[in-house]
Amino acid sequence: MFPTFKDGNIVLTERITSRSGRVGSGDVVLIRSPDNPRKVVAKRVKGIEGDEVSYVLDPKNSDEQKTVVVPKGHVWIEGDNIQNSYDSRQLGPVPYALVQSRIFFVVWPPKDFRLIGNEVS
Amino acid sequence: MLVNGDPRPKKFWATPFSSLSFFPFCTSRKPTSVYGPSMLPTLNFTGDVLLVDKLSPMLGKVGPGDVVLVRSPENPRKTITKRIVGLEGDIVTFLVDPGRSDLSHSLVVPKGHVWIQGDNIYASNDSRHIGPVPYGLILGKVFCRGKLFLSDNQFDCEQMRSSTSWVFSIPMEESQVSCGHHKTLDDWHNDG
Repeated sequence: MFPTFKDGNIVLTERITSRSGRVGSGDVVLIRSPDNPRKVVAKRVKGIEGDEVSYVLDPKNSDEQKTVVVPKGHVWIEGDNIQNSYDSRQLGPVPYALVQSRIFFVVWPPKDFRLIGNEVS
Repeated sequence: MLVNGDPRPKKFWATPFSSLSFFPFCTSRKPTSVYGPSMLPTLNFTGDVLLVDKLSPMLGKVGPGDVVLVRSPENPRKTITKRIVGLEGDIVTFLVDPGRSDLSHSLVVPKGHVWIQGDNIYASNDSRHIGPVPYGLILGKVFCRGKLFLSDNQFDCEQMRSSTSWVFSIPMEESQVSCGHHKTLDDWHNDG
């Protein structure tokens, strides 16, 4: 999730948005990995159910893009550091119910103290 | 609801989404009310009260044969009750559309996922349609279904059995199925 988060960042999360079903595109969320139920990762939601998402299949070798419609009850997650992120481009759409909470604030270190917005900063 | 110092249970209203902390000393277990035809004859169509253990999935103690509560991948507000048939790495064999055809299919359950099926395979929307379900969606393991007798302050609980008598193994081809695509009988025919 570089450059949004760096090693050692401490963040604040809230569960109200995820429990009420209001997580939308652009939100950074903590989501339980579908591959490993003990692992919770931070990713950005790029699309919710019904959205069309386009992504580059192999960024190092070609510009070929693929477009996917996110199925009902699922979200499309991507890391901000596109070159080095294991996300929906490899896993596919992830069920919404795996979203644990939404990250909205970085509190540590003090120089990174800021709200997390909808765009990659 | 049994509270400290109060021996008489209060009235229990079984609504589809109600769950009360019944035993104050075991708050990891909650009574939950479920209904629907997909788990006949194990569970009733019109509704059953189940005691659900929420700790077991977190400890990884859920296995084939267990009846579990799972958050639906298709609708995050819906909780479904099914039986686990296979864990990650297991080979599961199932009848694709038992009422209309003998076609069966086998596959390997991918890493981090489980294969769930209702006991009533003729009327169940489960992994045969929605694919393997991530383990992280399991909410709890059902360990008994019960009746509450208000007159004699009793909660009578019948334990869930892990009957999997309909699972059989035949020579198969391995294939991966991904979550999120709702499969119909034609999809299974085309997969071969």
